Amino acid sequence: MQRAVEGLSDGEAAELAELGADDDVSFDLAAAAIDIATIRYEDMPAGVADKVLLAAGVRPSGMTIPTTLPGVLPQKFAPAAAPSTLSTIMSAVEPAKPSQDAPVIPITQARRSRAPMVIAYLAAAAGIAVGIGAYLWKDAQVVEKVVIQDPPIKPTPSPSQARRTLLESAKDVKTLAWTATPDVAAKGAAGDVVWSPSKQEGYMRFTGLATNDPKVLQYQLWIFDKDRDDKYPVDGGVFDVGPDGEVVVKISPKLYVHEPVLFAVTVEAPGGVVVSKRERIVVTAAPPKAG
Amino acid sequence: MLLSAPQMEPDAQAMITEPVLGRVAAGDPNAVRECLARYGGLVWSIARRFEGADAEDAVQEIFLDLWKSAARFDPGIATESAFVAMIARRRLIDRKRTRGRRPTIDPVHELPAVASDHSGPDTCAEANQAARALDQLRPEQRQVLLMSTAGGMSHNEIAAQTGMPLGTVKAHARRGLMSIRAALLGVQSEES
Repeated sequence: MQRAVEGLSDGEAAELAELGADDDVSFDLAAAAIDIATIRYEDMPAGVADKVLLAAGVRPSGMTIPTTLPGVLPQKFAPAAAPSTLSTIMSAVEPAKPSQDAPVIPITQARRSRAPMVIAYLAAAAGIAVGIGAYLWKDAQVVEKVVIQDPPIKPTPSPSQARRTLLESAKDVKTLAWTATPDVAAKGAAGDVVWSPSKQEGYMRFTGLATNDPKVLQYQLWIFDKDRDDKYPVDGGVFDVGPDGEVVVKISPKLYVHEPVLFAVTVEAPGGVVVSKRERIVVTAAPPKAG
Repeated sequence: MLLSAPQMEPDAQAMITEPVLGRVAAGDPNAVRECLARYGGLVWSIARRFEGADAEDAVQEIFLDLWKSAARFDPGIATESAFVAMIARRRLIDRKRTRGRRPTIDPVHELPAVASDHSGPDTCAEANQAARALDQLRPEQRQVLLMSTAGGMSHNEIAAQTGMPLGTVKAHARRGLMSIRAALLGVQSEES
């Protein structure tokens, strides 16, 4: 039980293992279940997700470069055809032309020995070495210029753009118009909510909803799900309304929504609440009842 | 506009209901991406609760633990969400112990939502059961348990904040967690 809540020291963990009780994770799972039931859900930032994938050796989807180090962008020029034989290596290197000024020292025939042959072999070996070196130098000059730069950053779409994309792409998205309540914050409020059950994604759009001071009060969306007790709707996230006219807000449901039967926005304390007292409901949106 | 009962696209349904950790353990890179897409938000949210602005490093460590632990996942014992959350909690608690600090987590203001009799998809099963079981606890047990698990407070800190004797705090935390555990196991709590 202590492991589930406070963790164990190395000694305590060893003692638990000796007792054969370290496989029992039921208390750990109970504590984890409490976490899942009580966390305020946030999407993982895309940059963090990419780093997790790269650490796992998996290329993030949509990433076309690089293949070496992250951030290294190779720019390849057309490489020279790689020669494969010694003769082509030799022919790739022009033989050094003797300088006009260099003195020519004749080998005296009086000292006829194997020295000239040795020198010739050494010269040939040197020529080969020079040839190989010249080829490698040339190759090194041509192969790649490596430019280190930051990977291209995909711009994050605005909620308005994302809402348009959802409407264009999701086949099951529905649009519901808001109905304002008599609450003073909703005087003149209008707009709609779009929701796709398959994508579990949606957006609220408002005009005329009163501007709020986030340090005093915030708006919070609630999604009433057909398959859940209506005493406990799904928290759709807190949001603010500024003085900019139309505002579009992404819905962030904390739990899976099977079939929404009502969307409702309340006014809550900063940060929102886990269970709303519903003292101030400002707008609602519901699908027409069948029949 | 009339709403019909939402029909999930078959691929979306399969993605949500079929476990992915087995394929992760087998080294499938697509499964790694899918796991991250499915549980990244859950891990990030738990990490943010424990670590606040330092969540990014913690998340990377958690997923490394998860890749190593994926083969140990047993669908007969827990859902994938619960398993992932358990791995996350262990790493986060270890990080705090290593630094010698108590977790400083935002306190929970209210009880979590209690699910209806219909269970949600597997991703919510344990959460629904835990929430329902929390609702059944005596208020002082619930308060102490939430302050301890979700709030990350020590028993001494809870005693100081609530004014309860330390022994009472320990008893409430123990009984509360046992009740949650019993609810998940589908057995009668020893304490009831």
